This record gives sequence, C-alpha cells and structure tokens, in this order.
Amino acid sequence: MATTQTQISKTTGSNDRSDARRATIKKYYIYLVLLVIVVAFALIKVREVGLFGRGAFLSPDSVINMLRISVPILTLSGAFTLLIISGYIDLSVGSAMSLAAVVFSLMILNGFSFLVAFLITLLLGVGMGLLNGFNVMKLRITPVIATLVTLNLFKGIALLIVMDGTSAIKSTATQKMPAMINSYARHDVFLGLPLAFFIAIAVIIALIVVQRKTILGKYSVAIGGNRTAAELSGISPVKYVWILFVIVGVFAAAAGVARASYMSLGDPLSGDQMELACIIAVLLGGTSFTGGEGSVAKTMVGAIIIMCVTTGLMTVIPAYWQTLATGSVLLIAVVINQLLARESLKA
Amino acid sequence: MNIETTKPTKSTKRAGWGSRMSNETYITIFMAGVLLVIFLIACLAVPGFYNPKNIINILTNNWYIVIIGIGVTFLLITGNFDMSVGGVIAMTGVLSVYFCQASNVSRNVLANGLGLPYGVAIGLALLCAMGIGGINAFFVAGLKVPSIIVTLGTMMLARGIGQVVTQGAQRNTSLPDVFGVIGNASIPGTTLKFSVVIMVTLLIIAFIFERWTVAGRRTYLIGANSEAARLSGVKVTRHIATLFIISALLAGITGILMTSEYKAGLSSRAMGFEFDALVVALLGGVSIAGGFGSVLNMFVGAILLSTMTTMATALLLSPDWQFTLKAVVTFIAILAQRWALDRRSRG
Repeated sequence: MATTQTQISKTTGSNDRSDARRATIKKYYIYLVLLVIVVAFALIKVREVGLFGRGAFLSPDSVINMLRISVPILTLSGAFTLLIISGYIDLSVGSAMSLAAVVFSLMILNGFSFLVAFLITLLLGVGMGLLNGFNVMKLRITPVIATLVTLNLFKGIALLIVMDGTSAIKSTATQKMPAMINSYARHDVFLGLPLAFFIAIAVIIALIVVQRKTILGKYSVAIGGNRTAAELSGISPVKYVWILFVIVGVFAAAAGVARASYMSLGDPLSGDQMELACIIAVLLGGTSFTGGEGSVAKTMVGAIIIMCVTTGLMTVIPAYWQTLATGSVLLIAVVINQLLARESLKA
Repeated sequence: MNIETTKPTKSTKRAGWGSRMSNETYITIFMAGVLLVIFLIACLAVPGFYNPKNIINILTNNWYIVIIGIGVTFLLITGNFDMSVGGVIAMTGVLSVYFCQASNVSRNVLANGLGLPYGVAIGLALLCAMGIGGINAFFVAGLKVPSIIVTLGTMMLARGIGQVVTQGAQRNTSLPDVFGVIGNASIPGTTLKFSVVIMVTLLIIAFIFERWTVAGRRTYLIGANSEAARLSGVKVTRHIATLFIISALLAGITGILMTSEYKAGLSSRAMGFEFDALVVALLGGVSIAGGFGSVLNMFVGAILLSTMTTMATALLLSPDWQFTLKAVVTFIAILAQRWALDRRSRG
C-alpha cells in the first residue's frame, strides 16, 4: 500500500531514542489514563465530602461496591481478549450472560444447591461456546454474523424462560428466592469483598498465565497474526479457536452467575451491552483488533477504567447521558487504539 | 474498464442447468421458492391468510426495514456492517421533533423546541443523520477500523443523543399540524401509506443503481476484491465512505417518516432494527463473504420475514418468540443458501 511505503520511508530517518520513547508511551499510557480518571472523579466532590468521606468516589463504600460489581466485566473481558488476539470475535457474550443468569436463578429458586446450580450453568456455558465455535469454525459463518445470530437466540431463550408478565426470575407469592443466592457475589468474606471477587482475581491471574506462558496463548497469537501460516506450521485453527470460544462461553456463564448472585434475581436483560463493554476494555488495552497481538493484563486495566467511568459519571450526570457516554468512550478508545497501532507500525 | 463485465464472466464459468443465470438471480429464485412454500404452509395453517388485504399487509408492513435494508445491503456487499441504523432512526426522529417544536411556549423543557419551519427541521435532522454516517465513514474508510466496532459505537452515540435531547422520555407536544402529514398520508382511494411509496421508489432506484451504473458495479468489485479494485483505479475509500453516508441518510429518512406517523420523538424507537435489517439481507441471500447480493434479495428476505412473523403471531406465539424465531430462521437460511450454491457449482 502507498501509505505503508511513505511510513517506512519516514521511519528510516527516525532515531533509536524516539522509538524507545514511543514504546514507553505505549507501555504505560493506560496506567496514566486510569490515574487521570481516578483523580478527576475523586476531586469532583472533594469540597463537599472530602477525599475519602461518605459519598466520595474514593470512599471505602464506593470502592468496595465498584469492585463487587466489576466481577463480570473483569473476568469476561479477560477471556474475550484471548479470542480477539486470535482474530475472532464473540458478540453473544452479553446474551450468554443473561441466559446463564436466568437459568442459574431459576435453579436456585427451585431448590438446587448453590454448587450444583453453578456447575450446571457452567455446563450451559460450555454448550453455548461449543455452538458458537461450531458455527464459526466448522460451518465457516462469519464470526460477526454467527455470534449476532446466537446473541438473539440466547436472548430469546432467556426471555422465553421468564414467565409472561414478569420481568425477571425472582421471588413470587408461592416461591421465595433462597437468601443464599447472595452468598457468592455480595456477602462480605474479607475486607468487605465477596468470594466472587477473590475467585475473579485468581481466574484473571490464570488467564494472564495462559496468554503468556501456554501453548494456547502462543497459538492464538500465531492464528491471529497469520492464519494460513499458522495452519501450514501445523497448528489447527479450528481446534484452538473452538477451545477459545468454549472458554469465552464458560466465562460468560460464570459472569451471569456472579450478576444473578449480586442482584439476587435472574434478569433476562442483565447482560445487555456486555459485548460493548468487553470491546471497549480490549480496545483501551491496546489489543489489535485485526488479531495477532494483545495483553490480558492491559485489558484488565481497561475494564477498571470502564468501571470507574460508569460509576463516576453516575454521580455527576443524569442517567440518560449514560448511552451517549458509552458510545463516546468507545469511539475515543478506537482512536487511542489506532494511534498506538500506528506507533507500533513505525517502531 | 472491465468492471461492468464481472457478472457475465462469473456466470458463464458455471456449467449445467441455468448456467447463464447469475448466482444472485439463482439465489433470489431459490429464496422466492422457499417463500412460496412457506406462504402455502401459512395458508393451510392460518385461516384467511391468503386474503388480499393480508397479502398487501405482508408486502408493505415492514417498509422501514426495507428502506434501511437498502443501505445495509450495499455495505454488506462491500464487506462492511452498519449497526448504527437503529440509533440513527431514533436520533433523527427526536431531533426533527426538537427542531420543529415551538420555542418558549411552556415551562416544561420537553415541550420547548427551536421553533423552526418543518422543512428546515427535517433538513437539519437529515444532516445530523449524515453526520453520524460521516463518523462511520471516517473511522471505517479512513482509519480502517473494523466496521462492526465503529458502528456499534455510533449506534450508542446516536441513540445517546436521542436520549439526552428527550431526557430519557419523549417529546410530543407543541408540534405543528404539518408534522404528522407525511407519515400518515396515504395514496388517495387506497390504504397504502405514502411511506410505502417511498420504499418502492427507493427500491427501484437502488436496483437501477446496482445493475446499470458504473458506481453500482464498482460496489461488487470492491466486495469481491478491494485490493484489485483499488489497483484498477476504483477509489475504494471514497466509495465506502459514500455508502456509509447514504446508509445513514436512508435511516434518517426512515426516522422522519416514523416520527411523523406517531407524532412523537421517542429515543427508544427502532431498538434492534439494525439486526432486523441484517436478517432480511441475509435471509434473501446477501453474503458478507464479498461482492454477492442484491437489493432484490433483501426485499425477498423482508417478505419472507414478514410472512413468518405474521404466521407466528397468528399461531398464538407470544412476542417473546420473535428473537428466537429470527435467529433460527437466519441460521437455516444461511446454511440453505450455501447448500444451494455448492450444489450449483458442482453442476
């Protein structure tokens, strides 16, 4: 391409020092963004309530609540990153999460024990991932279309499970939702944080290890970088991407359980727009959307930024600004991501 | 230039039955056959399904999906998605109301607008719609960001603007009488709406464009091989940018018509229409794989969807079924079309 050629001719003139500086910017900019956002929101109400007082952005209550509700986005966007690195996308994660939340709370409502319901929901996640993987890898339907179709399928099933006339699976006149549904993602275990949060941390560390140290991580980079080359060197894209789809499905199901447990009800719309949140987190983390490079750890920072922005904005502007804010953040993230991609092209 | 001859060469290569027919026409006929079968089943299952009034209803009642489907189809042919159309419909509608509402008539903020004449109001609203299309064009054609990500962002952006202008509610007061005219007008002596006339006109223009204009044929060339198109002198970037702006304009026109029909600017209007537009295109046989499809395909798909939803409603399926129904039907359609094409190319 003509543009690439001009870029190459430009880079021949650049020296090592400015290349190193660009690399440094690329490495650390996201932490700077996070810091700026946190400081900005912390300072907004500093006159009225102080830095850590009641109602402030950095008050212990607010921070704990933020960490509690961030369990789904943290875990899910981590798994999502692996799929993006391999050059594929799953838009059905939000609906898969909703369906899992509905199925899980339906089982709890009908007297299943927590662990059994959890495991069955994870199995459902495996099923959903298998279906997506089958459509994309075996039937070779374009990922966007295949997963948009399953998005509507899962959403439709979740809406069908919830009875006519009610908005969610919850306590009724005849059946009461057991209180233990809360025990996973709401009850204080340590430092005011629930069990789900610590599990999420463990899972995230596992994901980072998978991405950096295991065959699956290396192969997903190879497949995303150049699928044909990967295939020629003996890697089976069908097998490995399928595994990634299943992982994403399982994580979506687990996210659904966390959400249902936190809200103590199964809302068929609870996962709506989760795919957008995941995309924003991945974009902010600098993962390339054409595949081939990326980092789960950086996506985590991106996810934390999203949580900060959503929580922080809620205290500042009315709720009806939320959609506009999300859309703008996504487009800004795209711009940042593109700028970084240009940098890496030059470097 | 040999762009105009792409189609004949493609079809003369095929051997066997009907070999002079292009693959698009083949799929159109195939899907029309499927439509006929489903229509006959519906006639047997639902009493009175075949009466003329119902048939006219099926042909015309989703005019809005067909209009936005035109833009979405052309973009699909070039290998791009436009998920922002639903949001643009909502935004244009809300803005046209806001521009047209009388100014300073009430204490209620939502009852006050800018007090512009109707013509100016819709002109400005359409310009705003094209602005969203321009953002899509800039990111997708200019910065080469995957269209699905950009248009998901502008979907939120456009709907978000609608929500901010209506403050999450709706604007429907202090509108001049002329506002409700075009949406509710019908052809004298019939019940056919003016909107349907616009749909038919736009369909005919689009069909002429894709079959007999150089720009129309270039769309296919870009979809089949954008690099080859660029090398043979097609301005790919400008072409795709224009298509995005046209798609947004068509969504804007739909928004104006719908808002006029209900005489209310509602920010939640056209929720999920982007998926419907995609579904009708896919049902008719438009393929994302590149350079394949026609607005005629899309129209057949729209009638197919309309027939099936009408039948499903008549057979007492609750509205909650529609997501699942659309998903399953699209899935089957994609596979059926691939099967038909495979069979054909084998001869």
